[in-house]
Amino acid sequence: MTEEDEAAFDEFLAARSTALLRTAILVCGASASDAEDMVQSALEKVYRHWPRIRHDNPEAYARRVVVNGAISKARRRRVLQEITFAQPPETPVESPDLGLRDVLVTELRKLPARMRAVLVLRYWEDLSEAETAALLGCSVGTVKSQAARGLARVRARMESLEGASA
Amino acid sequence: MNVEEALRDAMAAQVAGVHAPPSLGQAVRRRSRRHVVRFRTAGAAVLTAAVAVGVPVALTARPDAVPAAGGLTGTGATGAADPAASASAPGSDDTVAVPGGVVPDVVGKSAAEVNALLKEAGYTVRVTKVVTEEAPAGTVFAQMPQPGTAAPAGAAVTITIATTAGPAPSATEGTQDPRMPQDLGDLGDGRTLGGVHVGYLPEGLEWGKWSGKDGFGKRSYTTSWVEPGLEPGMYSVQMIVYRKDAASVLAKRMQGYAAQGAEPIEAGGRKAYLVSLSEGGDQINDGGTRTIVWTLASGVGVEVMISPDYAAKIGEAAADRELKKIAAGVALAK
Repeated sequence: MTEEDEAAFDEFLAARSTALLRTAILVCGASASDAEDMVQSALEKVYRHWPRIRHDNPEAYARRVVVNGAISKARRRRVLQEITFAQPPETPVESPDLGLRDVLVTELRKLPARMRAVLVLRYWEDLSEAETAALLGCSVGTVKSQAARGLARVRARMESLEGASA
Repeated sequence: MNVEEALRDAMAAQVAGVHAPPSLGQAVRRRSRRHVVRFRTAGAAVLTAAVAVGVPVALTARPDAVPAAGGLTGTGATGAADPAASASAPGSDDTVAVPGGVVPDVVGKSAAEVNALLKEAGYTVRVTKVVTEEAPAGTVFAQMPQPGTAAPAGAAVTITIATTAGPAPSATEGTQDPRMPQDLGDLGDGRTLGGVHVGYLPEGLEWGKWSGKDGFGKRSYTTSWVEPGLEPGMYSVQMIVYRKDAASVLAKRMQGYAAQGAEPIEAGGRKAYLVSLSEGGDQINDGGTRTIVWTLASGVGVEVMISPDYAAKIGEAAADRELKKIAAGVALAK
C-alpha cells in the first residue's frame, strides 16, 4: 500500500465512516459500541483490499459488508418474540408518553433483520429498489414485498398510536 | 405525515447524535496488522510442533527450561497440547516477528465482557468453570497466563469462571442483558418450563439464565441454553413451549411447512418437522435457522432451534442429530 493509498483511505473514512456507523446501528438495532465493532471489522476488510477497490466504489463495498454483518449478527441473537404480520399488535401502545419516533424505532427493531435492512437502505440510505436488491443479493421483487410488509407493520403501529392519542 | 416520512424522521433522530470516532482509522489499521500477525503465529506454531515431535528427548532432558519458557508465553496455562501458545519456545525463529502483547487483567470481570476484551486483544479464549462461593457466579475467578505476562497475539488465555452448585438468581444479574425479560424467575437448571421437561441437552451447554413468557402468543414459554462465555443475548439452543392459543398458532405453522413441501420425520415416536426457517419462523429458507417443531400432546407444541453459530461449530449433520435427540428427550413434566 502506497502513501497515497493510505491518505485516500483516511479521506474515505473522514467522508463515510459516520454514515456507515449510523447504517449499522439502524440495521442491527444494536448499541453504538456493538455497531462500532461491526463497522471496524467491515472497514478492516475494506482496508485489506483498498489498493484494488479504491477506484471502484469502495463505499458500496463497505456498505455491503456492514449490512450483511449486521443481518447475520441479528440472526444469531435469540428470539424474544414472534413476528406476526396477520393482525395489528394487540396492545395499542406500550406507553402513551412514548413519542412517535421511539415507537417507530422500537417497531423497526422488532422486524426480521433482512426486512429491517430493506427499510433502512430504502428510506435512510435512499437507495433505489435495484440498488437495495443488488446489495442484499436478492431480487427486486423481494425488496418490494419486504418493504411493503415492513411498512405495513410500521403503519399499523402508527395508526394504533394516533388512535390512542385522539 | 405518511409512514415513509415518519420512518425516515425516526431513523434520523435515532442516529443523529452518533459520530464515528476519530480513532477509527487507527483501530482499523491495528486490526489489520493483527490479522497478519495471527496468520504468522499459526505458521510458527506448526513449525514448533514439528520440532517438538522431532526432539522429545531434548525437551524432557531439560525439565527446568520448559516451564520457564511457558511462564512467558502461557504454555503453563494451556499445556503442551496447545502448540500455538508455545510460539516463542526455543526453535521458533518467527518469535522475533511476533510483537508480544501483554495479557490484560480480567479477574473479577463478567465472563461475557472478558471474552470480548481478550478477543479484542488478539487472544484465543478458553473457558473452564469452577464451583466456588468466593466470587460472584459468571465472573472470572482466575486467569492463565497471569495479567501483565507477555504473550503473542493468537496465544490461548484460559479463564476460569465462577459458578454456583445451586440456584443463585441474584448472583447472575451482572451477566444479564438488562433489555432481556426474565419472566419465569429462577428455573434452576432451566430444563423445566411451561409444563415440559427437557431430558437431553448437548454436552457442555448450561442454562442461559433467561426466560420469556407469552412472547410467541398467549401461553407460550421460552428459554435458552448457551455455551459458557457466550456474549449476552446470544444462544446456542433455544426452546419455545406453546400451550392453548399459542399451540394452535404453532399447529398452523406446521401445516404451512407441509404446504411448502417439508416431509415430516419421526422424533421420540412423534411426527416432527426438521426445517431451516427464516426469521419470523413461517417460511422455510435455505441457510435459515435449523429448527425442529412437533406436537408433544394435545394442546402442547414445542419448538427447538439451534443457533447458526453453534450449528456451524458442531457441523450441520451433528446439529440435526442433536435437535432430534433433544426432541426425543422432551416430555410433559410430572
